Amino acid sequence: MKVTYNWLKEFVDIDVTPEVLAQKLTSAGMEVEEVIYQNKNLHHVVVGRIIKIEKHPEADRLVVCRVDIGGGNVTQIITAATNVFEGAVIPVSLEGADLVNGVKIKKAKMRGVESCGMFCSGEELGIDEDYFEGAGVNGILILPNDFKIGMPIDEALMLNDVIFDINITPNRADCMSVVGIAREVCALLGKDMKKINLNYDIDVYSKDTVRNFVNVEVNTPNCHRYMAGAITDVKIERSPLWMRARLFAVGIKPINTLVDITNYVLIEEGQPLHAFDQQLIGGEQIIVRQARDGEKIEALNHNEYTLNEENMVIADNEKPMVIAGVIGGMGSCITNETKTCVLESAVFDLKSIRVTSRKLGVRTDSSARYEKGVNVANAEVGLARALHLVSKLKCGKIARGVIDISNKKNEAREIVCSIKLINDILGIEVPTSEMVRVLNSLGIVTKAVGSKLECKVPPYREDIENDYDLAEEIIRLYGYDKYDNLNYSLFKNASVTEGCHNAKLALERKFRNALVESGFYENISYTLVCGDINNKLLLSDEENKLVRIANPISEDISCMRTSLAHSLFQNLYYNLSVGNKKIRIFECGRVYKAKGLPVEELPIERDMLGICVNDDEFDFFDLKGVIENLLNMTSLEYKIVRSSKPFLHPGVSADIVCGDKVVGSFGKVHPTVIKNYDLPSNVFYGEFDTKYLSELPVEVRAFKAISKYPIVERDLAVIVDEAVTVEDLLASIKSSCGKLYYNVKLFDIYRSASLGENKKSMAFNIKLSDIEKTLTDEEVAGVMKKVLKALTFKFGAVIR
Amino acid sequence: MIKEELEKLKKEVLEFVEEIRKNSQDSIGEIKKKINDIKVKVFGKSGSITTMSKGMKDISPEERPKVGALINEVKNAISDKLTSLEKECEERELNEKLENERIDISEPSKGVVKGALHPISDVIDRLTDICVSLGFSVVEGPEIESDYYNFEAMNIPKNHPSRDMQDTFFINDNILLRSQTSAVQAREMEVRKPPFKIICPGKTYRNDSDSTHSPVFHQMEGLVVDENISMADLKVMLTTLMKRLFGEDTTIRFRPSFFPFTEPSIEVDVSCPTCHGAGCSQCKGTGMLELLGAGIVNPKVLEMSGIDSKKYRGFAFGFGLDRTAMILNSIGNIRNLYKNDIRFLEQMK
Repeated sequence: MKVTYNWLKEFVDIDVTPEVLAQKLTSAGMEVEEVIYQNKNLHHVVVGRIIKIEKHPEADRLVVCRVDIGGGNVTQIITAATNVFEGAVIPVSLEGADLVNGVKIKKAKMRGVESCGMFCSGEELGIDEDYFEGAGVNGILILPNDFKIGMPIDEALMLNDVIFDINITPNRADCMSVVGIAREVCALLGKDMKKINLNYDIDVYSKDTVRNFVNVEVNTPNCHRYMAGAITDVKIERSPLWMRARLFAVGIKPINTLVDITNYVLIEEGQPLHAFDQQLIGGEQIIVRQARDGEKIEALNHNEYTLNEENMVIADNEKPMVIAGVIGGMGSCITNETKTCVLESAVFDLKSIRVTSRKLGVRTDSSARYEKGVNVANAEVGLARALHLVSKLKCGKIARGVIDISNKKNEAREIVCSIKLINDILGIEVPTSEMVRVLNSLGIVTKAVGSKLECKVPPYREDIENDYDLAEEIIRLYGYDKYDNLNYSLFKNASVTEGCHNAKLALERKFRNALVESGFYENISYTLVCGDINNKLLLSDEENKLVRIANPISEDISCMRTSLAHSLFQNLYYNLSVGNKKIRIFECGRVYKAKGLPVEELPIERDMLGICVNDDEFDFFDLKGVIENLLNMTSLEYKIVRSSKPFLHPGVSADIVCGDKVVGSFGKVHPTVIKNYDLPSNVFYGEFDTKYLSELPVEVRAFKAISKYPIVERDLAVIVDEAVTVEDLLASIKSSCGKLYYNVKLFDIYRSASLGENKKSMAFNIKLSDIEKTLTDEEVAGVMKKVLKALTFKFGAVIR
Repeated sequence: MIKEELEKLKKEVLEFVEEIRKNSQDSIGEIKKKINDIKVKVFGKSGSITTMSKGMKDISPEERPKVGALINEVKNAISDKLTSLEKECEERELNEKLENERIDISEPSKGVVKGALHPISDVIDRLTDICVSLGFSVVEGPEIESDYYNFEAMNIPKNHPSRDMQDTFFINDNILLRSQTSAVQAREMEVRKPPFKIICPGKTYRNDSDSTHSPVFHQMEGLVVDENISMADLKVMLTTLMKRLFGEDTTIRFRPSFFPFTEPSIEVDVSCPTCHGAGCSQCKGTGMLELLGAGIVNPKVLEMSGIDSKKYRGFAFGFGLDRTAMILNSIGNIRNLYKNDIRFLEQMK
């Protein structure tokens, strides 16, 4: 919301500088985002008059002007402009000027003749044709003859105001106006609000009242108040400069008297108004009602909107004329031909306006105010103020009376609150006298009665309902700086509570730290991805139902990811594309699947850890080692079986299985997926469910006694078929060793033509131990015989 | 007679030792050999001392102890001298060996080179540790959330102006991507009994994207519900948190603000950890950084979640973790946090 220093001054005697005011407003919760000095780039620019024009002796396209710049000073300026003439009153920028387009003025010689400044166009002064006649021409701005020569241009053109851009929080709809902010300024400066002129002269020569021009009927509960006045003998012309200056300063385009008055009241009073051409109101009847399904209206933005019962309209006997509170229609608006005008000042339900504005995608200054809430009392002030301005600008005659249909009460509310509770909430002692002072300064009429405050809250402060709200009003004006040097100990009056880490986050943290130690970089990616994720990963849409965003920023971030693989493959691709090599990355994050489509209940969110590697020195078994080391940090009892994950290579991948639950998978990435992501062939990926792992029971370890007798070691190499797995052999050896088993390890796999086709030799180191005695050679030989026999019997193993 | 011989021998040996010490060009091996030679010459089978000892029998019994003592004395003196020379020799040998084994310590280190945590994870780890030590429990909640928990239970009814404060991603009319970790507040209040203190770090989503806004970002929410909670508790708790995060000299400042779920509501500015309040590019010269939103929990919010607002009061705070990570690590553009470029991530080492 933009307001200006001068505009505020009409309501408050401000005796502080704009900076101080801005700082005070900010400290009270009216955050001033920017203070703009309108004349920042207008210094050293004055009104001048060209006395004489002569041709430049050296240049055909230049002329040398003698210019009166006031105070008896005459200067010489060379210009190439063609619209200047002797006697023209023009803006002259002199040495030291620093114009809005970056031009800095210095004395200079142009083809040997001195020029002491420059004439300015409207653009160079930051104004356009809407603001000032002649400002839009391609040439020098020719000013009216009655402008005082020598006057600083910012004064002459009323461009010397200071603009505050204030961020109004949604609870303070009452501050969406100059008046609203002025009320805050009064409270901050300890001043009283000045009375604004709401008087106007009615057309005493006519017997007509407003009802001779229009009749109003309200047929919807969404209209809380509808007021209308009538103006005859309307004169549509350019508004006076002071009014244009105000509107221009707050970013509103000046148009003509009537339109400017409605905008002026909108900004000043926060009351949206609408002006109808009375002759275009069918049957001279205004009906406020909900739209009929399919009703159409061509709006002032030249778009046609099809309405439904959710939308409220201001209609005449036949057609909707205005989308209530949002935008006017082409059929009934003010034109240069308008003779009689009906001026609407209404209050609509904020939800109704908000829904319509959202659904139609139309936001206007009017809807912005209505959807935050306009107080019903405002309609009256707004209409009176507008009629006052009509009267002041002499742009029409005001008919007797106003129409006022109201269905909502508007009274000050009484709240009784506890002084102790306010201090308990704030945690500091605010003197009761200060509470009373602050609340009264805000227009909340307050008395202290015993341990209570009795407060009368004015109607426009609909945000204030209880002690907490009053506590906030008190502290924001009493000053949050009271907390700056607080002498108070941590949780002084609070209970002791137990601080607990979250099990899943704690486990993830262990994994993250372990991975970092082994050279991995942690990634955090957008969980929003492109809709083709399942396709690219060869995942079935049926099992991975996509959660789609209804209002995405763009297609490539329109769905929730169904796998971490997608994020990590994209990150890998990016890293390779910028020349990074030997990439080991991982991410802890969620994947999302809808339970059904369309989504009707909250989707499933799984917490996963994904690992991705592209490094020539890294193979399946390196990945297996990484995964096993992580899983061994948990109490998971798992088996590793061949995986059927579609995005992994079917022969070089495994699932981590616990019971019938697949906890995770890992392996080489499927060549088709490699192609889909444009990656090099040797990419390894692994993932598992961290939430599942974090919910496992706490591991209870059972240490085994270590035998005090020596461990016996034997090596055994056997030749078997390729199809025989290490896992099978290890299990068989272990079982053959029986209770003497201590440990067995594979230490070599050897393949050679001499072993025979599809054969391999596997060498094991077997450790045996007895807890009660030293093993004899015979016992060891016996076990080894049993081991070999079993291997031969089960797997056709031949000792090598 | 023997006495003179002994003196002579002693002198010879001492001169020899001096000679060797002076003559530093000799290699250790040569010196060792010379020492050995002289040992043989003096103590060997036919060495001078041995010979003299053997000659003792020819000396009169009265003289014998005296001569014996003299021989011993010379023998010990020579032996000491040679031992110390040998020791010097060994020392020199060791020093030469150490010198030869000298390496270029600037050669690169071996073994697995560590990776690095993501800056946001690092911030979450730090914050959760601090908060747990202050008695907070760490919780999580769904990222795809119902309109009820994200908005309505936070006192943001449908079609209310305060909805404009956030651009939300919707799945449908009632399901959305949570726009604030505050969504977890009501969920936790429904299942916990006061007093409690919780924090909730996690991903949040808003339909907004530029150099300081990412559509996916991280927040941490804090909520304390107890019988006598006040703004003063909030102030002291946040001061403690910020000091432990940014350093002991950190200060914080309250400014009025508005959130539908707190009343009073405040913004919390933290003294800039880069310039310590002096003003720098990070804090745009103000010396303070706008970092948190906070306030006393609106009693309506407590009531909606089944907590008696007459008995209990609470405070809540929330802040952006991306921004915190950016401040702690002087990261300029939020997008860098999500590109996952190794050249960026390795700076976290």
